[in-house]
Amino acid sequence: MPPTSSRVELRRLSKRFGTVQACAGVDLHLGAGEVVALLGENGAGKSTLMKLLYGVYPPDSGDILIDGRPVIVDSPRRARALGIGMVFQQFSLIPALSVRENLMLAYPGAPWWQGSSAGAWSRVLQRLETLAPEVHPNSKVAELAVGQRQQIELIKVLNLDASIVILDEPTSVLTPQEAERLWGMVRQLADSGHTLVFITHKMEDVMACTDRVAVMRNGQVVEECRVADTTEQALVTRMMGGSLSEDGLRIDSPRPRAHRVWMKNISATRQGEHIRGIDLKLMPGEILGIAGVSGNGQHLFADAMAGLVPLTEGELIIDGEVVVGPKMRPAIAGRLGYIPEQPAVNAVAGDLDLTINAALGRFKALALFPDWDAERKRTEELINAFNVRPPDPALAVGQLSGGNLQKLVVGRELATPRELIIACYPTMGLDAGAAQAIYQALFKQVSAGACMLWISEDLDDLLQYAHRIAVLHAGEIVGVIEAKQADRYSLGTWMTGGVSSSQSIAETAALDP
Amino acid sequence: MSDLFSPEMLSFIAAALRSSTPVLLVVLGETLTQRVGVINLGVEGQMLVGAITGFAVTLASGSPTLGLLAGMFAATLLSAVHALLSLYFGANQIASGLAVLILGAGLSAFYGIPYVGEKISGFGSMAGVPLLGPLLGQLSVSVLIALLLTPLIGVWLYTTRTGLAWRAVGESTESARAMGINPLLIQWLGVLVGGLLSGLAGAALSVDYTSNWIENISSGRGLVAVGLVIVARWNPYLALPAALLYGGSEALYLRMQTWGVGVSPYLLSTLPYVIPLSVLVVTSGRLRQRGGGMPEGLKAVFKGS
Repeated sequence: MPPTSSRVELRRLSKRFGTVQACAGVDLHLGAGEVVALLGENGAGKSTLMKLLYGVYPPDSGDILIDGRPVIVDSPRRARALGIGMVFQQFSLIPALSVRENLMLAYPGAPWWQGSSAGAWSRVLQRLETLAPEVHPNSKVAELAVGQRQQIELIKVLNLDASIVILDEPTSVLTPQEAERLWGMVRQLADSGHTLVFITHKMEDVMACTDRVAVMRNGQVVEECRVADTTEQALVTRMMGGSLSEDGLRIDSPRPRAHRVWMKNISATRQGEHIRGIDLKLMPGEILGIAGVSGNGQHLFADAMAGLVPLTEGELIIDGEVVVGPKMRPAIAGRLGYIPEQPAVNAVAGDLDLTINAALGRFKALALFPDWDAERKRTEELINAFNVRPPDPALAVGQLSGGNLQKLVVGRELATPRELIIACYPTMGLDAGAAQAIYQALFKQVSAGACMLWISEDLDDLLQYAHRIAVLHAGEIVGVIEAKQADRYSLGTWMTGGVSSSQSIAETAALDP
Repeated sequence: MSDLFSPEMLSFIAAALRSSTPVLLVVLGETLTQRVGVINLGVEGQMLVGAITGFAVTLASGSPTLGLLAGMFAATLLSAVHALLSLYFGANQIASGLAVLILGAGLSAFYGIPYVGEKISGFGSMAGVPLLGPLLGQLSVSVLIALLLTPLIGVWLYTTRTGLAWRAVGESTESARAMGINPLLIQWLGVLVGGLLSGLAGAALSVDYTSNWIENISSGRGLVAVGLVIVARWNPYLALPAALLYGGSEALYLRMQTWGVGVSPYLLSTLPYVIPLSVLVVTSGRLRQRGGGMPEGLKAVFKGS
């Protein structure tokens, strides 16, 4: 790569957080009109490297050159002035405002008077028309699908005249159809001269829309090549570095005998959200994945099965015994382990310490005056078994990082053998090592005969580990399929409602490029 | 239809508008305050301070205009106490608002003692205005100010850059900051503008509406207005119909007394509070299903963060 064609050059960039060397002397070139994939596992340093370029953190050492000239990028504001834009996984859109209002809010040349006759609107909405014509500017952002919100976020960045655009794991929240749409947009931008960095850990992103790939591992670029000159297999090997063995994650087939768990014709309602007529049976040792775009009733379904929301109809039957049903007190203590989504909010009391939070898992079994010394010992065992850091039973749970909090919750919920485990996004935001530990804990119980209901948006995980996959759309199960026979595309179609209703089919068609 | 334009009906509408005016001004101000994500329960106290200051200055200077301005200034100062406590010192907004309410009530009662029984002349009638005289004669200056301010604030909030920035701050201070807006400055302004309008409301009450001073002259109008902000869904245009709920029922209960309805006047006088409350209860269930319109930043206040 001759340096003259480089728009951006990173030289020996390093960054350390505490004891973790996030980036260790990374060199990287980005050419004009080029899409570069930054490929690596969670924690490989991809996001950190790009946040150094975007001015989120200052580098410990190293240089950034733009168009051959060294620059200091000490803030995102400075980065934007240099023509660098970044689309984060967390969107900064305001859901209660309309698409046009969100775009105008972020537009640097916004006029004071913003009546419909103001000339700035055509400039603000220009890219919306070319890149996402199906999004109506007057729709509220709250009504948009995740993929559309991401497009708005990208247009916001482009409206700042960014010619170097960084996308941080953009496809992790998208359905396969939405991802394909994004790949098209990325190519469109590259053809018009933009330089793009595509941070990802998915091989298909690399193959679909990038020119060059830089593989990162442990804070270093371990491989850099043209996509055309490599293979998926070679990239996977470089990315994993052979360090991650899948041996601990073998899952037995479910025992083909009588069903153990029957979710019989479940309906429930909460704050305008509904689930209707869900009927699923699980065999002992079976993992049933629930796929679906977030907001289609997953959270309500999980809460309803955990006995947190009254059922309007239906029963949860375990081993022939009704444990959750309408107008009854849920009889789930000790039988059911529940790992809810956003455990920081839904599973713990953040101001209380680890010991109390761990003990809350067996609240009914506690004495009126609990033996806190014994509870602390139990908690210490749990901390050691699940490698919760820092290992301090007296620490307020709110002080734990997301991954450690998740480990604590999983440890608490799986402390004793369960009959049914409900896990919502159990490894979301965790690094590969922590995720593997949690999988091991879950699958150990499954091997012992527990049924597992696994709610996830990550189709790759479900396809790899679940026995069957059911797709939830608009509160109803639109399809169930053996994981061996499933493919991403048919699941994606189900997820966008391509089967259940004609209106949704039209939406799916609109998403197709 | 002839009934609608009968002299009795016109005078009833005018009476409803007159008694709605102070409430309307507070609803407008509190809407703006809550739109930037701050709740201010102190508006009742600010109204009282605005009312006594306006009354005292009008009495001393003979100028009701000066009185209104003085009332606005005094109430803005008091609202700055709420802004300082809640935005600078991070005090709980509910507690800080209540403190301002009680402080305002106490200050106005104490400094108002010598003014009880005094009389001022106010703005005088607008009946002499050509053409509109017969209509305007039934209204007053503060009614016109409030009726003009309602669409002005609506247009400002929904079609200007600054209005957009205020709405953004109320939804998410983080997102607003990411876009180069200074949320703290806008929240301060939101509280102070709320204070200004509550002061205008209080002064309108003592200078223009009753032309006298009694202790606790606002008698809960400020707190009713906080509730009406919810009825109006944080929308300045809807502030007028919401305020008319109060003003209309106040005008109605005064009429009913003269009709000789066989109900205790004490019970009747609860109408202006019972009717807005009933509407709030009836509409809020429906609102919750539709997402409500409550600024996200306000929800955080009630979660105690």
